[in-house]
Amino acid sequence: MNKMFPFLDIEAHLQKVVVVIFGILLFSSLLFYVWKRIKPGKLIDEMILRLRSWWVICILFLYATLSGPFATCVGLGLLSFLALREIYTHLKMRNTDRVALLVCYLCIPVQYYFAYKGWYNLFMSFIPVFMFIIIPFMMVISGYEKHMGRSMGMMTSAFVLSVFGVSHMAMLVCHPGLNLDPAMGKGLLLFLIFLTQINDVMQFTFGKLLGRNKILPVVSPNKTWEGFLGGLLGTSVIGYFMGFLTPFEDTWQIVLLSFSVALFGFIGDAIVSAIKRDFGIKDMGDSIPGHGGYLDRIDSLTASSAPFFHIVFILLLA
Amino acid sequence: MKRLILILTHSVIWRSFLRFIIGVKYVNRSVLKREKQYILIANHNSHLDSMAIMSAVPMKSIHKVHPIAAQDFFGDGSTVEFLMKHFVNAVLIPRKRPKNSNDPDPLQIMSDVLDIGHSIIIYPEGTRGEPGVMQEFKKGIAMMVQRHPDIPVIPIFLDGLHRSMPKGVNLFLPSNSKLFIGEPINFSSNETELILEESLQGILEAKTH
Repeated sequence: MNKMFPFLDIEAHLQKVVVVIFGILLFSSLLFYVWKRIKPGKLIDEMILRLRSWWVICILFLYATLSGPFATCVGLGLLSFLALREIYTHLKMRNTDRVALLVCYLCIPVQYYFAYKGWYNLFMSFIPVFMFIIIPFMMVISGYEKHMGRSMGMMTSAFVLSVFGVSHMAMLVCHPGLNLDPAMGKGLLLFLIFLTQINDVMQFTFGKLLGRNKILPVVSPNKTWEGFLGGLLGTSVIGYFMGFLTPFEDTWQIVLLSFSVALFGFIGDAIVSAIKRDFGIKDMGDSIPGHGGYLDRIDSLTASSAPFFHIVFILLLA
Repeated sequence: MKRLILILTHSVIWRSFLRFIIGVKYVNRSVLKREKQYILIANHNSHLDSMAIMSAVPMKSIHKVHPIAAQDFFGDGSTVEFLMKHFVNAVLIPRKRPKNSNDPDPLQIMSDVLDIGHSIIIYPEGTRGEPGVMQEFKKGIAMMVQRHPDIPVIPIFLDGLHRSMPKGVNLFLPSNSKLFIGEPINFSSNETELILEESLQGILEAKTH
């Protein structure tokens, strides 16, 4: 019973987060219900659609995180696959790149297997060292040179964005050094995901309320300096209060972690926005009602998870 | 038995494979559940097209739906022909007009299928073309409409399947794509030219549903 429903006996400090998350969801649902009753309209319908997706996302994420490393690896591997498929749909690949593409897809289970086993060195070198040599070589073998440089660049960067970055989240719960007690990695993963999403919300809210000066006028006109700084500040403060999820005791360590999640989250968001602008599309897909595609939801995570993992690693083990 | 094989391959195995691995999405699928018999017309860019349309057909009528395929391309008497007939449920027709009276007439073959109450899938372009470019429609579809005016013609727009399996490639890969099913076309007249034009419009408009 406890294996199927791990949240029935999760560690005490993780329970708090579960309560907080469902508290926020329930509160918003109630708020939106009343709002719709009083003042129905298009905006609230859109918000309700988004909230409904949030319920599904939160339940899936919590289940995958709390029920142990295996479910986390499978879930994140699936997420990587969906994100990679989404981004390759928009890249105009040449027909001769298809063998290299197949290799990319087949690398996903391998990378997550290394993560599941906690083999740190293989995990870290497999994609940036070995596949970065092999994937371009697959294109060389196929023997059509026109636009090859473009294909090599696009395919490898899309691959790192959606697989290498995301797989660091799996490594958080599987690395033997970070999981001296079983709740440690789970706590760190929840901390990372919760703060990244909070940062998105904070940036959005501060941007809407105070936004005056555009920070990236060309590639992402909706982002403002006020939203960016408000996000940094707000996330650092909330991160300070969520610090009980991490094994760190010094305040500066927790604030540094929260700050870096906010900073890299913003960078990831900006990178994916820029790619979308280049493709001339608004969303990467329409798989999550109200949010767009998978990559639209995890854009900040693609950039924040790897730096987060390494900062934790350096602070804790170096 | 054949019906069981078709249900298993298309409605169970292919549908899950196409949806979850390849990333095909069906839009407005309820039209196919509503109508009993139909002529499905679609744009053609990939070998996956027929498989995708077949997997969208409701389970209970799948044995009554036949993709029309070219005899000279698929009917070489080998395993391909066997697979086409038993696993894809295809009807093979010769692409050329009959020269002497003994040769089978492709239009008559299609008509016979419709006469026994079955449905057909036709690609009016005749062959797989460049993605995004509609070729001129062959006249066969117009003649079918003239002979069977009471069977609804349902347009289907296939978007992006050519990325999963382009022409001339034997490897299919995951890549998001969509299958838009339009509302049955109401033809304003019985003239060949008009029917062809309205079929083309129907396919292009299916995308907006």
